Amino acid sequence: MVKLTLSPFEMEIARKRLGREPNEAEWATIDALWSEHCSYKSSKVYLRSFPSSGERVVMGIEDWQDAGALDVGDGWAIVLKLESHNHPSAIDPFNGSATGVGGIIRDIISKGAIPIALLDMIRVGNLNRERNRWLLKNIIRGIGFYGNSIGVPVVGGELSFDDTYDDNPLVDVAGIGVVRKDKIVPSVVKQAGLKIVIVGLTGLDGLGGASFASRKLSGENEIGAVQIADPFAGKIVLDVTLSIADKVEAIKDLGGGGLVVGVTEMANGFGAVVDLDRVPLRVSDLTPEEILISETQERMLFAVKEERVKEICAEFEYYEYPCAEIGYFTDDSVIRFRYRGKEIVNLPSELLVSPPLFMWEVRKHKRPSIERPKIDIEEAIRKVVSHPDFVSKEWAYSQFDYEVGTSTVIKPGEADAAVIALPNGKLLAVKGDANPDLCENDAYECGKYIVAEAYRNLATVGAKGIGIVDHLQFGDPRKPEVYYTFVEALRGIAEAAKFFNTPVVGGKVSFYNENKEGKAIKPTPLVVMAGLVEDKLLRGSIEEDLSIVMLGLARDEMRGTFLSKLYGNFGETPKVRLNEDLVASELVVQGINRGKILFAKDIGRGGLVSALFSILVRGYGVDIRSNGIKADIGDDLLVKLFSESTGRFIVLTKEPEWFLENKKGVIASVIGKVTKSSGVLKIDDKSLELSKEIDNYYNYFFRVIEND
Amino acid sequence: MKFPGTTCEVDVYKALVEASVDAEIVKFKDFDPDKYGAVILPGGFSFGDYLRAGSIAASTETIKKVKEMANEGKIIIGICNGFQILVESGLLEGALLPNLNLRFVSRWVYLKVGRKDTVLTRGLEKEIIKMPIAHSEGRYYHNDPSRAERFAVLYYVGPKGEVDEKYNPNGSLLNIASIANEEGNIIGMMPHPERASFKLTSPDGETDGLLLFRGLKKW
Repeated sequence: MVKLTLSPFEMEIARKRLGREPNEAEWATIDALWSEHCSYKSSKVYLRSFPSSGERVVMGIEDWQDAGALDVGDGWAIVLKLESHNHPSAIDPFNGSATGVGGIIRDIISKGAIPIALLDMIRVGNLNRERNRWLLKNIIRGIGFYGNSIGVPVVGGELSFDDTYDDNPLVDVAGIGVVRKDKIVPSVVKQAGLKIVIVGLTGLDGLGGASFASRKLSGENEIGAVQIADPFAGKIVLDVTLSIADKVEAIKDLGGGGLVVGVTEMANGFGAVVDLDRVPLRVSDLTPEEILISETQERMLFAVKEERVKEICAEFEYYEYPCAEIGYFTDDSVIRFRYRGKEIVNLPSELLVSPPLFMWEVRKHKRPSIERPKIDIEEAIRKVVSHPDFVSKEWAYSQFDYEVGTSTVIKPGEADAAVIALPNGKLLAVKGDANPDLCENDAYECGKYIVAEAYRNLATVGAKGIGIVDHLQFGDPRKPEVYYTFVEALRGIAEAAKFFNTPVVGGKVSFYNENKEGKAIKPTPLVVMAGLVEDKLLRGSIEEDLSIVMLGLARDEMRGTFLSKLYGNFGETPKVRLNEDLVASELVVQGINRGKILFAKDIGRGGLVSALFSILVRGYGVDIRSNGIKADIGDDLLVKLFSESTGRFIVLTKEPEWFLENKKGVIASVIGKVTKSSGVLKIDDKSLELSKEIDNYYNYFFRVIEND
Repeated sequence: MKFPGTTCEVDVYKALVEASVDAEIVKFKDFDPDKYGAVILPGGFSFGDYLRAGSIAASTETIKKVKEMANEGKIIIGICNGFQILVESGLLEGALLPNLNLRFVSRWVYLKVGRKDTVLTRGLEKEIIKMPIAHSEGRYYHNDPSRAERFAVLYYVGPKGEVDEKYNPNGSLLNIASIANEEGNIIGMMPHPERASFKLTSPDGETDGLLLFRGLKKW
């Protein structure tokens, strides 16, 4: 029997509501449906505060189907979905990350949408540790193995490092699909009598995966909960599902919780009768409980009109892919599973889909601020730009087939956001952002920060955000200090999403991310924002003598910055002034549309230094006058160079005066120019030669990982 | 041609349309060789590449039909996984081994045109072209280097056409990226011309891939 995660309290509720003691198969059923992973029992109440409507929202968070959808014009919609595979990736990074990709793709195709892009956001511990290098190497291999094999390009992502992820890496994958607005397939049935059709083989892998993801890692005997990836089967499922999408009534991916969750959620209040004997199996001796909760990949569930079952299965059989009718939906609201003529589960749908909801206690965690340490500026510059967070990620993305689909316009590593061509000719920009260091200090500001940063990132290619999906990753929600950060981060995301008119169309919550000592990871909410290029696309280019214009104000708020991460947490926490992000982003987009900008970069992690470094690594130098950098603290060079206060960009232009004349409330100043002195950062009269750091930028990962 | 696991059929189709070549996508079991003058085996992971890349597809009934076409002198082009299928099936000589660094590599490369007597390169005016590669088993090998040299259509080179080991992305013999049979009607290539056929998605707006596909129209 698989380990249950239900608490004695929850078991008592189940008994009371049912009026009897559930049997073993029924306990497994309730456990899967009530798992945090499937039921959102600790988050649902708060998630309802997200702004979820808007003129572009086709399918949002209340419908909470398998993915959200946004109108992109001309009768087309994009489908967005974000998921993690943190627990499986900690145990088996290759299969864990590969199945993360597979799961996202199946969520997209279950809406009838063609997957067109993937983003991967990876967080692991310090690469000085061999285990972390092993994790990273296999996580990247796993994503490539799956994404490449099914022909969906990985167009962007993040790769970030922090000791907090030592035992518990974060592997977030976002998927984007396109579909005709009137062809979106529901995930739930709207009538009784439809047949239930399953495709794919059910095996012994991924037993109790949803429950496994809903508790902390124990370090013992957990490999059975990891699913095995089979991208070739995934590709067949992808191709055939899209070819039959308009011939079925509903489609659901068999993901977390397996068959029992898939059937119950698809029934959506209706009843169902399923014969487990008819489920095609990979191995013959599975127990009925195992068939119920197995999370073997590459399986889909279809609700099909009786007369079309044969036609649907014939399409799968062309590829010798198993397809079977296993039951039907009823109108009595009872979920029934039968095995060898015996009814082994008979539970009211109402009980399964309405778990007890929790709002745990919260407690603010006070973090002391230290005195500002003595910091040598030159050393700090070298340290920041050498950190693996800021070096080229070519080692990773060159393992992904990012050109497949011939629609990747702005490619990985090229800009702050990726750009993909849509079937209607419009250009879609996407970017994922997180900031765990800030979240640890102030989760509310961090929630706002990551949405604002994503919005700015999109502006640098000429796009305006239209919607987001979020992923909230925290420790054990029953710990008041952890739950506090959850509530605060959510509040910040909701507020910023509302401000930018980028509704939250979907998301995911992942709790129980802890290290072996039971210490929670730094709170790591993450958002992926999608936007449309308004008019012109900016494909950045750099040349000598361009003026560097900085938009926005550097503020003396150093806590939670990258510099603070390296030198100790000093100063105040940044306050995010959303309006500054909005007006500065609008100015950047306008500048792009008027042809005034050759290169744009938002100022985020690592501050101005890291933004300028992106010019240096392209073979140029920069010459900066520090008195041109506007700050709220007069002449403090440290703040000017490393502050991460928001609402800021650098743009390279031949016409700096245009920005000074058209700034409309944005603080804009010329801070210097691009020079031909390759790799030289000149600040006032001091020149810094950064060729060693530039070499590190290009070769760090190849050196650290390949030489293992 | 679409095998189960093929991923690039739509991209190649789109590029052929762009080059004004009449084309359609055919599923592997439905293929009728008499209907076509040329067949392209696009990139992807046919049958998951679960043995050696291309080896399962190479032993299908479909490839027997492709061989019939080859015997009639019709045009056979294999791109990436298609190239792997062509060498696995013996339609082209040599082998494609795992990349020297043992990992998948995706990036844009410069290519020098070595032969202009093939269906794709005839009449091509450009000497150096640019397009992306994306493969983990693309190291061309032949036990007779002089024969390989005779077959070679494209070489991995530097921006100015330098044939140098440092521009070799996978360890290919003599930097070979593409070969053809002596007649020039059967071509295999690791780079993806369809991905360099559209202005919008090419980094510098060049459409060198289209130049190759247009050769198909001239044949």
